[in-house]
Amino acid sequence: MARLSLIFAVLLMISAISLVTARFQSRQLFVASERLSAKARELDTDWRRLQLERAELARNARIDEIARGELKMTTTSPERTIYLKMKDGQP
Amino acid sequence: MKRVRFYNSPVLNVQMPMWRARLVLLLIVLGFFALAVKAMQLQVLSKDFLQQQGERRYERTIVLPATRGKIFDRTGNVVLASSVPARAIWAIPEDTRDASPEGLSAVAKLLDMPLKDLKGRLADVDKNFVYIKRQVSVELADKIKQLKVPGIHQQTEMRRFYPEGDMTAHVVGFTNIEDQGIEGMELAFNDELSGQPGTRRVIKDRLGRVVEDVRAVVPPIDGQDLSLSIDAGLQFDTYAALKKALEENKARAGAGIVVDVRTGEILALVNLPTYDPNHREERKGAALRNRAITDTFEPGSILKPFTVGLALELGRVTTLTQFDTGNGHYRYQGSTISDVSRNGVLDVAGILRRSSNIGMTMISERLSSQEMWTKFTELGFGRAPQANFPGVAGGKLRPWERWRPIERATMAYGYGLSTSLLQIAHAYTALARDGDMVSLTLLKRQGKPTTAPVYTPQVAALLRTMLEAAAGPDGAKLAQVQGYRVAGKSGTARQIVDGKYSKTKYRSSFVGFAPVSNPRIVVAVTIDEPKAGAYYGGRVAAPVFSEIVASSLRRLSVQPDAPIESLVAISAQQEGQR
Repeated sequence: MARLSLIFAVLLMISAISLVTARFQSRQLFVASERLSAKARELDTDWRRLQLERAELARNARIDEIARGELKMTTTSPERTIYLKMKDGQP
Repeated sequence: MKRVRFYNSPVLNVQMPMWRARLVLLLIVLGFFALAVKAMQLQVLSKDFLQQQGERRYERTIVLPATRGKIFDRTGNVVLASSVPARAIWAIPEDTRDASPEGLSAVAKLLDMPLKDLKGRLADVDKNFVYIKRQVSVELADKIKQLKVPGIHQQTEMRRFYPEGDMTAHVVGFTNIEDQGIEGMELAFNDELSGQPGTRRVIKDRLGRVVEDVRAVVPPIDGQDLSLSIDAGLQFDTYAALKKALEENKARAGAGIVVDVRTGEILALVNLPTYDPNHREERKGAALRNRAITDTFEPGSILKPFTVGLALELGRVTTLTQFDTGNGHYRYQGSTISDVSRNGVLDVAGILRRSSNIGMTMISERLSSQEMWTKFTELGFGRAPQANFPGVAGGKLRPWERWRPIERATMAYGYGLSTSLLQIAHAYTALARDGDMVSLTLLKRQGKPTTAPVYTPQVAALLRTMLEAAAGPDGAKLAQVQGYRVAGKSGTARQIVDGKYSKTKYRSSFVGFAPVSNPRIVVAVTIDEPKAGAYYGGRVAAPVFSEIVASSLRRLSVQPDAPIESLVAISAQQEGQR
C-alpha cells in the first residue's frame, strides 16, 4: 500500500512538473510566433516599399527620357527590324 | 488538575446573565448571514457585470488592419498602386502645455509646417484629440518620437502610392485619407481591394504588453490584388503621343484609347489634362475628368462608316452606286448641307474617303429612321456600355419616332446624337473583327470575351477596305504607319456653344484599326479645341493615331503586313532554314 502511494506521488510530481514545463514552453513559443509574424509583416512592408521603389525607377517616362537623352537611342523602324516567326505561328 | 493563575480572579466568579451570550451569538450569526448575502449578490446576481468590468481592465481587442490590395498592369510587373504604412501625428492639446518651445518648434520643423499653424491646432485645450499631420512617413515619425515631446502621439495608418503618377491617373483613380477608393478602379473595386480587418482579443499586463490571447485570432484578410487590362508600355506611348499633340495644337484637352481587338481589353486609356494622384492638392477640377469614358460629344464624321455599313447590309447601296454630290452645297429639308470641298460624283467608298456630308445625306434617304436607330442601338450608342468603371456615360440617342426628317440626315454623318470615345472605340471593334462587337473590359481578361454580331462578315470586310482607302493617300494620309496597313476615319465636329454650332471650337478625332490584314488594335483619338490653326481630324488627330499605332504594334511585336524595303540584311535562306 505504502509503495503504491509512493509511486503515485512520484507520478503526480512528474505530471505537475511537465505541466509547468509545457506552459512555459507554450509561452515561449507564443512569444516566438509573435516575433516572427511581426517580422513577416515588416518584410512584407519592405517588399512593398522596394516594389514601389523599383516601379519608380522603372517608370516608362524615366526610361524613355534616359534612353533618348543620355544614351542617344532612337526608336527602331520596321525596315531595320528582322521579324522572326515562332513555331506556333505567333509572330 | 493544575489551575491557571487567573482562575481565581474574582472577575470570573461573577455570574453573567445568559442573554448576553445569546446576543453575542446572534450578532455573530447575523454577521455571517450578511456576509453570505453580500457574497451571493457578488457571485450570483451581478456576476456578469463584474466580470465584464474586470475584463475591461485587462483585456483588449486589437483590430488587425487589412492591407489594401495592389493594382498591377496586365504584365503583373508594373505596380500602379500600392500601400505602405505611414503614421498620423496627433496630440492632446492640454498635455502639450508642458512641452518646451524648442520641442514644439523641432516638431514643426520636421513636419515642414509653420510653428504658428502647429500652435493654432493646439490652442483649443478642451479637445482630447487633434490631428497635427497625417500620412507622415515612418522614418520621419520615428524622428519625432525621439524628441519625446509631451502630448504628441502617433498612430499607424496606410499611405497609397501611385508610381506611374499622372500617366495612369484616370484609370487607377485614387483613395481618400481613410484608404477608401473614391475614383476610378479604386472606387469600382473598392470592396475587393479593401479586404476584411481581423481582430485579436488579448490580455495585456500593466505595461501594455500582450501576455496571452483570450480567443482564437481572427486574422485579417488582405485585399485582393487587381490586374488591369492596361499595358504600361502602351499607356506611356499613348500618353506621350497625345501630350505632344496637345502641345503642338495648343488644344484644351484630349483623350486616346487602345483596345485589343481579339479580347476587348482596353490596353491604354489616356486623358489629358491629367493630375498626379500622389499629390492631394492636385486632385481637383477639370483634370479629374475621365473624358474618354464619362464625357459625351457629337462624334461627327467618325460615325459615317456605321451608316454606310447599314445601307450596304440592307442592299440599299452597293459598292458601285454613284452619288452626285454637286458643288458642295445641298438644300435638304430646308437646310443647307455642305461639304468641305466640291466632290462631284462619288461612289460609297468615295463618300467615306472624302467624308462627304452630302453623300451621307443621300445614303440616309434610302434608309428609314427606325433602321438607323436600331443599328445605332445595336452598336451600343445611347446606353452605357458594360464596363466595370464608375461614371460610364451612355450618351444620347433619341427614339426614332421623335427624329425630324433633317435629323435622319445629320445622324447619318454623326450629328444629333452623342457618344463617348469609349463607345466609338467599342463600335469600331465590330469593323475590325468580322462584324461582331467584343465586350470591353478594364480588367485583365480571364477566359473568352462575349461578342455581339452587328454586321455580316462581308459588310465588315467591305468597310475595312473602304476605311483603308479613307486612311490612304487620297484620304487622311497622316494616319499612315510605315510597314503596316491601317484603316480609319477622321472626324471634325463643331462644338455646340450656347446652343449654336461654333465656328471656332472644334473637336478633331480619328478612329481606326491596324494592321488591316488581321486587325489587332482599335485606336481612338480625340483632341478638343485645337487652336494652333489646323483643326481637321485628318491633320490634328490622324498623326497621333499613326504614332500610337506604330509604337503599339511594335510593342505587341506584330509583323508588318505592308511591303517594306528592309535595310537589314535578312536572307530568304535564313527564313527557309527555320
